[in-house]
Parts: sequence; structure tokens; C-alpha cells
Amino acid sequence: MVPPEYYLVLSAAIFCIGLFGILTRRNALLFLMSVELMLNAANINLVAFSYVWGNVTGQTFALFTMALAAAEVAIGLGIIMVLYRNFGGVDVTDATTMRW
Amino acid sequence: MTTKPQLKLGSHLVPGLAAVALFVVMAAAFLTASFPQVQGFPADANITASIGYAMFNLDFGDVPSESFLVAFIVIAVALDVALDGTILLARRESGTAEGGLISDGGRRLKQTLTGSETDETEGEN
Amino acid sequence: MAGIFDFVPAIVLLPFVSFLVALAVGNRMPKGGAFAGIVATAGSFLLSLATFFTVSQGQTYNQTIYTWAQGLDGAVTLEFGLLIDPLSALMLVIVTLIALLVHIFSLGYMNDEGETGLPRYYAGLGLFTASMLGFVVADNLLMAFMFFELVGLCSYLLIGFWFREPGPPSAAKKAFLVTRFGDYFFLVGVVAVFATFGTAAFAGSESFPHLAEQALAGETSVNTFGFAAETWFTIVGLLVLGGVVGKSAQFPLHTWLPDAMEGPTPVSALIHAATMVAAGVYLVARMYGFYALSPTALAIIALIGGFTALFAATMGVVKREIKQVLAYSTISQYGYMMLGLGGGGYVAATFHLMTHAFFKALLFLGAGSVIIAMHHNENMWDMGGLKEKMPVTYYTFLSGSLALAGIFPFAGFWSKDEVLYETLIHGLGGSPILLVAYAMGLLAVFFTGFYTFRMVFLTFHGKPRSQTARDPHGVRWNVKGPLAVLGVLAATTGVVNMVPVEKLLGIKGIDFLHQWLDMSLDGLTAHHYAELTPYSSAYIGGEATTVAIGAAVSLGLAIAGAGLAYVLYNVPEPTEHTDKLGGIKTLLYNNYYQDEYQVWLANSVVRPISRGADKFDQGVVDGVVNGVSSVSLFSGSRVRRIQTGVVSNYAALLTLGLTVLLLGFGLLGGWFQ
Repeated sequence: MVPPEYYLVLSAAIFCIGLFGILTRRNALLFLMSVELMLNAANINLVAFSYVWGNVTGQTFALFTMALAAAEVAIGLGIIMVLYRNFGGVDVTDATTMRW
Repeated sequence: MTTKPQLKLGSHLVPGLAAVALFVVMAAAFLTASFPQVQGFPADANITASIGYAMFNLDFGDVPSESFLVAFIVIAVALDVALDGTILLARRESGTAEGGLISDGGRRLKQTLTGSETDETEGEN
Repeated sequence: MAGIFDFVPAIVLLPFVSFLVALAVGNRMPKGGAFAGIVATAGSFLLSLATFFTVSQGQTYNQTIYTWAQGLDGAVTLEFGLLIDPLSALMLVIVTLIALLVHIFSLGYMNDEGETGLPRYYAGLGLFTASMLGFVVADNLLMAFMFFELVGLCSYLLIGFWFREPGPPSAAKKAFLVTRFGDYFFLVGVVAVFATFGTAAFAGSESFPHLAEQALAGETSVNTFGFAAETWFTIVGLLVLGGVVGKSAQFPLHTWLPDAMEGPTPVSALIHAATMVAAGVYLVARMYGFYALSPTALAIIALIGGFTALFAATMGVVKREIKQVLAYSTISQYGYMMLGLGGGGYVAATFHLMTHAFFKALLFLGAGSVIIAMHHNENMWDMGGLKEKMPVTYYTFLSGSLALAGIFPFAGFWSKDEVLYETLIHGLGGSPILLVAYAMGLLAVFFTGFYTFRMVFLTFHGKPRSQTARDPHGVRWNVKGPLAVLGVLAATTGVVNMVPVEKLLGIKGIDFLHQWLDMSLDGLTAHHYAELTPYSSAYIGGEATTVAIGAAVSLGLAIAGAGLAYVLYNVPEPTEHTDKLGGIKTLLYNNYYQDEYQVWLANSVVRPISRGADKFDQGVVDGVVNGVSSVSLFSGSRVRRIQTGVVSNYAALLTLGLTVLLLGFGLLGGWFQ
């Protein structure tokens, strides 16, 4: 029996690694990967609590999250293509037109 | 010749400190919190089958669950929409040189019309 | 039963209709709408007469006819209503009669002289008559105030009738502003009355004079805002008196009236002699039950009246223009009325109000006739010898002058004498302040006699002093008719109240006006007022002796004044004697520098204050507002910098925000404790 705290700390660690990537990288593709990490951190939580409560709802949700992650990546890749076309690169700091 | 990945340190890592701080706070929160007794699954339960039944609102699973038929359908639609959206974003228009959607806030149109190269948006500094 | 009282609103509405008619179609009517006005005022006059006779049968009428703001849960209710009692019935007859005569006279003064803008003129007259009549029949103070203001507005419109010349618009503005200054206090007084009593009705058991009386007797309680009841009633009374002083041209707000002579002469007769100026005095008479409760207010009214009577009379002595003399005599005569009211002579003041309305309208119309004859030259030193050329004008004018000077047996003698008599006996009865006012009033009698006959002699006697006076312009029936009617009235109106005769000869029952004003509603009768006033009477010798002495003294002074005028000016070639006055002459010519003083007040006192207020407004109030806007503009332009458009920055902010939130919740939830 692994206590739930361990799962939670693992999930927090993965989430923060993903976040770290988003905060320090400028490449849009790396952004997508980091977001994947963060989503999977959430999945770890879902599965862990599914086990804690003895109920498969959390696991089912984790499946849905993966499906949505696929959708997100699909849209994200499309956006990155547009970004590349309009700004000549995939550096997210170039695309600053949507401000004040 | 292959290059090894190199750790690139520098000031661009400073924002990452926020992520580290968040991790510290979250870890502190988790480790100080108390959790209920872990119930676990029965040893002979078929978890995968239970998930499958739960997705289709069938009541044959060994492990209790909510029913997810509507969510399943909605996710299916969402995936479909995402696929179409991606195609829409990525398609290159055959007639125009640019193609696709222009999402640069009108910058290129403005340059075309005024001929000026500089971006005169207020407060650009 | 459809009695005559159901037609009382028509008295007010008829002239109003004539105003609308003259305004709308006056251009297409013969005589510029004059006939509409004449018909309307004649109708009003007949209805007023009918009302008058009905009232003389002992009937009165006090009815709300329209509620325009229903007060919920004890809030005040605002109403229009009619109050027809002997006082208002009498005033209705006076106002409609003079309005009618002035309309007819205007045919001669305006139409025959080829004036332009006649529809505007007759519309103004109609609206003025309607407003004044509405004021007369008002049954509550707020309605009275509203019509009071309308009267002021019409006065402005009519004084400024010849608005293309420089003088009239300025005079109109002055009249408007000065009376408005007084009306400001009146408005505050109206609000105070509402706040104190919850009603502004003049008559009935729920009226404010009645409530005030009960409050002083301790039978009921009203909101007196922390003052003693009598002090507070005095304050309220003096606030309303502000409007009276402005409208009735009492010192120190009298300065507008002489300037108002810039208007057409019939207007001067109607507005500045007989009716509008009477509105102030009428208002005091209307709410006399309230003033009678406050000895201080009465004393102030008496002092203002006595002082104004003397003050204005002395200024009238040196004037060169015939209308200016009349203007100052008007101020002076209204001073007598205020003196009468303040001295406890309610009937006497009403009596003087009535007689003065007749003889002053007569004098103004007579002056108008002279001015027509003189081709609109008003300078008396260019006249002279008009007696032979215009006998009707002369004899009627003489009748009015005798009445004004207070010579027996003309109307003015009886009324002025009664005012002075009432003041005298109440002053002897333990109110020395009234004796001061009486002395001033008595002295003014001498000046009145002097300036009146100076005017008569300069205008009509002697030899003509200019070419125009040698060959005056003739006047027609429409001028002579009104003059004749008023001339007879000025000579005979005194018979309605021959109190001295009654007292001296012991004939009972000829003080008709006393009896008339006693027939009013409960609480509005002359007897009731006499009981309310704080005065007691005392006599020199006996009642009859006092009457005789008072009458003899005032008549003697009047005759002395007239005699002095006779000696100085009833010569073929009169000369100016004003140089003998020395320094006083300049003082009088400049009206005691009242205008200069008020201008100084406005320029040196009010203007710096308003400049300071303006600075405060521009600097502090606007400064705060502008400061708030520029601070938010500036901070907005700075704060928006965090919207960099770089997605990493947004993510960093989100992260930091979440961290801070979690930390905050953790600390609140008991970490480190």
C-alpha cells in the first residue's frame, strides 16, 4: 500500500517540470510537450484517487483526459503551423500582437 | 558527429523559479495533509472491464463507478471538431500566396497598405 | 348647486385665454388683440362683481380644485384651490376693474400712437392679469408663490417691452433680479411653512395661521426646529416678508420700481401702481393671522413701512420726470400700507390698498395722457399750462392728486388717516416703536403733499415752457373714459370707511369696510386679527379727541406741503428751487446713492465671494475630479504594460498567482502555527 501522498508529490513534481518547461522555453513545440507533461500529472492524481476510493471513475476520467490531450495536440499543431506561416518561426515570444 | 544535449544555464531560467516555488508549496501542502484510509480494489476485480462498462452505462462491472455515456459522446465530438479545426488551420489556400488564416493582428495588411515597415502600435517600447 | 363660485376659475382663465389669443392670432386681429383683452377683462370684471355681491350676502368659498401632488404617509399635499372671502373678492374687483381700464387706455396710448409689437403687449397684459388674479384667489401659500413668480415674469416682459432701446431691458432685468432676490427668501419661507405645519393653506381649521395660533396656546405642537415657537414663527414670517419687501418695493429692495418706469405708462399704472406691487401687501394681509402672532415681525413691518414712506417721499421731491415722481410716491404709499399692517391696522391697510389702487392708477393714466400730449416727453420742466388744453386730464389728475396728498374729503385722506390713526393709538398703548414709525409716516405726509402739488403745478399750471406744451397732442375717448371713471372713484371711495366721521359724530354703521372684512371665514375676520395682535390702544383725551387730533395734524401737514408747493411753483414762470437744498440736493437726485450702494455691494462684496467660490469650484472640486481622471488614466497606461503579449509572461503570472493563493490559504488554514 503506497500512501496517496507519494502519488501526489510525484504528480506535483511532474506538473512543475511541465510548468518549468513552459516558463523557460520559447519553442512552441516544446510548449506542447510540456503541456502533455502537466496533463499527465493530472492523470496520475486521477488514478491515484481512483485507487484510494476504490472506484473506477477516476480511471475513466484519465482516459478522457488522454483523448482531450490528443485533441489539444491536434489543435496546437495547427496553431503552430499558422504561427510559423505568419511569423516565420515557432518562437512564442514573437507572436505579441494580441496585447493592449 | 553527434552532439550531446547540454545544460544551458542562464537568465532565461529565472521564470522557472516560479514553478519550483509552486512545487515547494504544493509538496508542503500534500505532505502536511491527512488522507482517508486507502480502500483499494478487490484482488479479483477486472478493472479494465469495469471501465468499459462504465463508459457505456452498463452495470456489469466489478468496481462501482459513475456512468459516462454522455461524456463519451461529447469527447468523441470534441475529437472530431479538433480534427476539422486542425485541417482548417493547416490547409494552404490554393489561390493565394499566403493561404490559411491570417492571425497576425492585421500587421501584414497594414504594412501592405501603408508601406511602412515599422510597427506603429502605441506603446510598442 | 351651480353658484357663482363655480365660475370663479373663469375670472382667472379669461385673461389667460386672451393671452393665448393675443399670442396666437394677435397679428391678424384688429388693434393687435386689444379687443380680446378688453372682452376678457370685462368678463372677469363682471364675474368679480357677481362674486363680490355673493360674498356680500355672507357666503364664502374655500375649496381645493386640483391636487397636483398627493402626499403619502403624512407627507405634504400640494394643491391648487380657491379662497373667496371678502378680502379676495374686494381685490378681485379692484384688479379686474383696473385691468379693464388699462386695456381701454392702452388703445389710446399704444394703438393710436402706432406702436409695433402690440400682440406681445396685449399678451403680456393678459398673462399679467391672469397671474395677479390667480394670486388673489390662491388658497395656499405655495399657489400664491407660483402666481407671485408669474406676476414677476410678466412685469419683466412688460417693462422690457421696448427692448430695442437701451433703458427698458436693463430696467426689466433689474426689476426681475431685485424682486427675485426677495422671492428667494419667500421660497425658503414657503418651504419652512411646509416643514413646520405640513400645510400652507390660508384658511380653515387646518390652515397654518390657525395651527400657529394653537401652537402658541400650547394646544398643539409643530416642528419648530429647536426654536421657541414664537421665535420660529417670527423667522418664518420674516422670510416670507422678504418676498413682500421685494415685490412691494419696500426699503431696501425698492430700487427696481423707479427704473421700471421705462415700461409703457399703462403698464406702470397696472403693474407698478395698482396691482403687482399690491401683491406684496396683499400677501401680508392674506396671512395676517400669522403675522399677528409675532410682535417682532409686526414691529419690523411697521418700521420698514414708516421708513420707506418717508424715505421715498423725500426722493420724490426733486424728480424732474412726472413718472419718476409717481414712482417714488408709489413706494411711499406702499410704505403706508406696510405701516398700517405692522401697526395692527389690518382694515386700514386694506382700505389704503384699495383707495391707492384707484388714485394711483388714475395718476399714472393721467400721466400717460400728459405724455401722449407731450409727444413722449416726460420732463415736467418742459410742460406747464396744460390745464386749459386738456381739462379732462387736469381735473381727474387733480382728483387723484388730492387723494394722494390726503386732502379731505378725497379717498386718500380717509385711508391714510386711518392707517396713521391705528398706528398712533397702538403706539400710545405701549409700543413706542410704533410711535417712531408713526412719526416717520406723519412727516412723509408733508413731503407727499409737497411733491404731489409740485407735480400738478409744474405740469398743468403756469405758462407753457416748450413748443410741445403750447400745442399738445389731443387725446381721445379711450384715454378720457378710464380717467373719468377713476377720477370719480378717487374722489369718492373714501365713503366706504368713514371711521373718523363715525367716531366724531357718533353715527353708527358707516364703517362699511370694517363690517365687510368681518364677514370672512372663521379666523380670517378683522375682529379676530384685532384680538391676535399684541397691541393695546390708548388715546389722547378720548377716542374722538384722538381721531380729531390725528386727522387735523395729518391734514394740516398735507396742506402745508401743498401750500409750500403752491408758493414755490404755482407762478407763471416757476424756477427750480432745488439749489436751496444745498448738499442734500445731490443726495436726493442720486436717490441716497441706493443704486450705487447696491452696485458697490454687488461689486465689492458679492463678486469677490463668487470669485472665491469659483476658484474653489475650479480648483478644488474640478481639481479633484480631474485629478481622479488623470490618476486613473496614468495608472491605466502603466498597468497595461503587464499585458506584454508574450505567452510565457502570462504563464509566469498565473504560476505566481496560484502560488500566492495557495500560500495564502495555507497560512489562513493554520500553517506555522
